[in-house]
Parts: sequence; structure tokens; C-alpha cells
Amino acid sequence: MTISRRQHTLEVLVENEPGVLARVAGLFSRRAFNIETLNVGPTENSSISKMIIGVAVEGHSLEQVIAQLDKLVSVISIKDVTPKAKEVHDTQPDYQN
Amino acid sequence: MAKHVPTANGTEMTGATALVKSLEAAGVDVMFGLPGGAILPAYDPIYDSTIRHILVRHEQGAGHAATGYAQVTGRAGVCIATSGPGATNLVTPLMDAAMDSVPLVAITGQVPSAAIGTDAFQEADIRGITMPFTKHNYLVTNPDEIPGVIAEAFHIATTGRPGPVLVDIAKDALQKMTKYNWPTSIKLAGYKPKTTPDAQAITDAAALIAQSSKPVFYVGGGVIKANAHAELRQLVELLGGPVVTTLMARGAFPDSHPLHMGMPGMHGTVAAVTALQKADLLITLGARFDDRVTGKLSTFAPNAKILHADIDPAEIGKNRHADVAVVGDVRETIAALIPALKAALAKNKPDLTAWLRQMNSLKSTYPLGFDTPDDGSLSPQLVIQRLGQISGTDTIFTAGVGQHQMWASQFISYEHPRTWLNSGGAGTMGYGVPAAMGAKVGAPDTTVWAIDGDGCFQMTNQELVTCALNNIPIKVAIINNESLGMVRQWQTLFYDSRYSNTSLESKRVPNFPMLAESMGCVGLSCELPEDLDKTIEKAMSINDQPVVVDFRVHRDAMVWPMVAAGTSNDEIMIARATAPDWDSQEL
Repeated sequence: MTISRRQHTLEVLVENEPGVLARVAGLFSRRAFNIETLNVGPTENSSISKMIIGVAVEGHSLEQVIAQLDKLVSVISIKDVTPKAKEVHDTQPDYQN
Repeated sequence: MAKHVPTANGTEMTGATALVKSLEAAGVDVMFGLPGGAILPAYDPIYDSTIRHILVRHEQGAGHAATGYAQVTGRAGVCIATSGPGATNLVTPLMDAAMDSVPLVAITGQVPSAAIGTDAFQEADIRGITMPFTKHNYLVTNPDEIPGVIAEAFHIATTGRPGPVLVDIAKDALQKMTKYNWPTSIKLAGYKPKTTPDAQAITDAAALIAQSSKPVFYVGGGVIKANAHAELRQLVELLGGPVVTTLMARGAFPDSHPLHMGMPGMHGTVAAVTALQKADLLITLGARFDDRVTGKLSTFAPNAKILHADIDPAEIGKNRHADVAVVGDVRETIAALIPALKAALAKNKPDLTAWLRQMNSLKSTYPLGFDTPDDGSLSPQLVIQRLGQISGTDTIFTAGVGQHQMWASQFISYEHPRTWLNSGGAGTMGYGVPAAMGAKVGAPDTTVWAIDGDGCFQMTNQELVTCALNNIPIKVAIINNESLGMVRQWQTLFYDSRYSNTSLESKRVPNFPMLAESMGCVGLSCELPEDLDKTIEKAMSINDQPVVVDFRVHRDAMVWPMVAAGTSNDEIMIARATAPDWDSQEL
């Protein structure tokens, strides 16, 4: 089975404060956005953290994901850093007989 | 009330005093709350404060009262509660305020910071719990941060798209000493709401409007939030196109205006629903394409282009693609649109005559109406209609949720903004009485009627004690059909009239007038149509005490028109199994 989906990578700068991961994760969960990968790390500025979020956009526009993320007061900026090839084709084993 | 004297920065005080001084500095004149252990340090300086604190009987009442106050005044409502169950009792009002974009600041006490995470007595992670439905929230453990956080909370709650903000403060942060430090400016790297619309978007919007031949103004609650009703009227009259006002926007445009087609949505008028369905352009102002308005989304307004003006960029394209999006304060947007549209219309003025003729034909053919019960009993719609007519258009009405809410939105003529308060997005039963309490505190010289159901009333009526003891003389009309009426209507229509658990027997128990009297209110009752007007007039004549009227109404009245949940707006019914006669309409 070949599935096709649009996967994007977002670089999100957030306030480095307790609960910020829960804010972002909770947003993805309650809006039914799909997180594929999530990395959180420090930046040169100790008050700001960087999240790299791999998001599979299905049924939602990327604009909507970004707009909702941007509503979080703890989110400072969002950049779409998706590598050139926008369409990712996964080949997964077909377990259905 | 003593005049507020600003406190000098650098003054030594407890965190609790800093909290109260900060609330005073934020301009708070009233708050609704109930103390408990963790918030108790704050209640000591509250005792000396210029702020009027109204002691409620349940924290949910405090939250909805703060909302009622905010909806009437346009300022942030404030509620305060202790940790654990005190805080969780605010969850429903916070969710309610988030859904209806109400500026609210909730202050909660938290267990001492050393005890956080230990399952301490009355510990609840209220910051975690309220993340999904607060615009932002805080947990403060350092007393030095209290003034800055309070300033931010009010800024966030009242700017951009308004919403609730919760500030949870650990008990030890309230007890420790700090130097008061009210900020001179607020800098939030991640919060910069855009209020001024782009010039290009305004030009595009005006061009789109000038090209349309079947435009409709789809007006949402944002117009009231932005105080844009005067500008809206100018814009509407400039174009001369039909208007619909959503449940949250009743009063944003006068019901008596000939261009007003009524409320759209599940229980909207045939004219309003059809206007959206047949339009070639929706001029969407501070509205959000809620499912109760759109019906089945894929069939909503199928031929319409969408002009969407909203202050929240995340609403653009969320449910429906926008052909032209204008992000900004809707008052600024409309003010900019008026000259732009004048210029565009000077080049090309569309002829809306045929479109208006069609809409007016629907409006006159299918006005809102109701049947008089055959058995001579009281019709709930008549009660509500007479309440509106007798008490006049300056009256503020609040409602609970259900049939009485829909009838109150349909059969009262709203001429002014901020005169209709209800729980639109959340659908919170029990909103009516505490919201009326907050509304009356915000507008003490205005008559405030809560139109409530017998089910809703039994959820939050204890705040009538608060009203009686604090000189808040609201009036409550219980539309008593001894049922969870809207649920019963759905059971009638969709569950073969199997009335599972919707009979409340509230014509038998409780005795509402006695209950009212026991809470320090005047209790009245009305069961016959011939007693209706004099009962309302009696209630109107009592202004030194809250009044509760038990209107004992016909049980089987239903709310019409109706677009059944999940169906298309095209399937609107004007009565059971009765669609409008489309063939006779020129559409």
C-alpha cells in the first residue's frame, strides 16, 4: 500500500518556561493535528527554546496548523523549514490479505 | 467607594497585597469570588480594597457573573477562587468564555509551591486543566512576578480576540514579601494582535462587494465585541444589502431595520438561512462559520464567495475557504471599508433590487411565529414575546440554554448591542442567572431579565441568594415546561417520542416561588394567558429585590424553524415535516 501525505517540518521558537511543551502538544492533540516527530532544544538565548516539529497535514491546511500554533502566547515564531520535496511517498508493507 | 490611589513601585508588601494592588491598578472595580485555604492570604487585603468583592455561593456563579459583567461593560470580568475544587468549579465558565470570546481574568490560589506535585490537599493542576480553553494561563510561584503577570493577563484578555486568562498563584507567593513593581509597558514576544487591516485587503474586499449581485452581511459576535455596530449600520446602508445576525450578534444590527433578515442557523429564520444559501457573496464580519450556522458544511452557501474579516487569523479558512481575508479589528476594518466601498461603488454599483425583493418575499412569507395551545394553556413563546414588549428595548436579557434560549433570541426584538447575553458556543445550561447577576452589577440602572428554563434554573439558582444579599435586583422568568425541553424536542423528532430522562416534573417539585422566597426574592407564578401581562408588570414594578416568576407553560411547544443537526441548510423545516414552499418563491 502506498500512502501519500504532505509532511512539513516547522521550526518553532518558544518561551523557555514550564508547561510550554504541554501547550504545544496539547494543541496538536485537541485540534487533531498529527505530530510525526518532535525535538526540543536550547538556543543561544536561554529564555528561548527551539522546537522542530514534523507534522503530517491531513484534513487540515498547513496554514491552519501554523495559525493555531501562532495563537499560543508562548510561541514566538514559526518557520516552515520543509526540505524541497513536499510530497513524501511512503511504501509500507501491506498486511491485508 | 474610595478612590483608587496608585501604589508606588518599590513599596514593600506581601504578594497578596501586591495582587490586590495590581488588580486595582488594572482598573478592576468589581470581582466575584469565594475564598478558601490557598487563596486566603489574598482575601485579607481584599478586605481593605476599593474593589467591590461579591461573595458568590458557587464558583461557577462567579465565573458566569464575571462573563455577564464583561459582556455588558466591554471590560474584563474578574473571578477569584481557591485551589482544587474551587478552581475546577471555574472550568465551565472559562470554557464558556473561550467559546464566546469573553475577556475574563480568573485568579486562583494554588497549594504552596513546595507542595505542588505531591497530591496535596485541594491540589489541582488548574493551569494544565485550563490550557485548552484559556487564551493564556500562568502559574506564579515568585511574588515578584505577580504585578507583571496581572498586567499581562488583563492585556491578553482584553486585546486581539478577547478571551479568558487564568492566573494560578501559589499560597507561599501570596504570603512572602515583595517589592511592588507594576510594569510601565507590556512586552510579549509571542503576542502581537494585528488590529489594523492591510490596505490591499480592504481594496480587494471593496472590489469583491461591488462585483456581487447577491451579497449578504453575515454578522457575528465580533462586531459587538469591537463596538462596531454604528460602523456596521453605515456600511450596510451604503450597500443596501440584506443582513443576518448570529446568535452571538443579536443586537449588533437593529431587528427593526428593514434590511435585517433575522438570525441564521439551526433555528434561524427562513429568510436568513436562505439568504446565506442563495448568496453570491458573504460579507463575513466577526463570525466564524460555526456548525450551528452552516449546517452541513459541504452544502453551505454553495454559490457564495467569501469575504472574511476577523481579528483572529486562525479563523480564516478554518471551516470555509476565504476568497478575500481581512485580518484586523472589525471596527477598524468596517471603518476602512466604508470609503473604499464608496469608491468602488462609484465605478460599479450593483443592482440589488431583485435580490432584496426575493429576500423580502421570504421574510414576509415566513415570519417567525407560534401556535397558541388548543387547551388554553400558556404558550412559552408568548411569554417571551410579551417580556420583550413590556420591558422595552433597553432591557438586558440573559438566557440559559435550550428552547427558551432560542425563543428568547427569536421573539424579542434586539435594537442595541450588549442587550442579549447567552452561552452560544459552549451551550452552558445554568448560564442565565449568574450572567444576569454580573450584567446587573455592570449596568445597575438597567432592567435585567434572565429568561431561564426550569432545567437550567435548577443548576445555578443559588446565586439568587447572592443577588438578594448584595442588592442586585435581577428578574428571572422561568419558562417552566417541566422538561429538558430541547432534548425532549429532539426525542420527539428523532427518537420516536421516547422521553428517556427528560421529564423534570418541575410543576410539582420544586415550588419555584417558595424557593425564590426562601432565597430572599419575590416569588410569582403565572399559568394562564390572561394573567400574563399583569404578572410581568408586577415583576417590573419590584426594583428593590430580585424577582422570580414561574411561568408554567405548555409542554409540547417546539422551536421552529429547524435545520436538523448534520443536515443541509437547504433542508430547513418551518414545522414538523413541513418545508417552505420553494416552488412559490422566485429564487
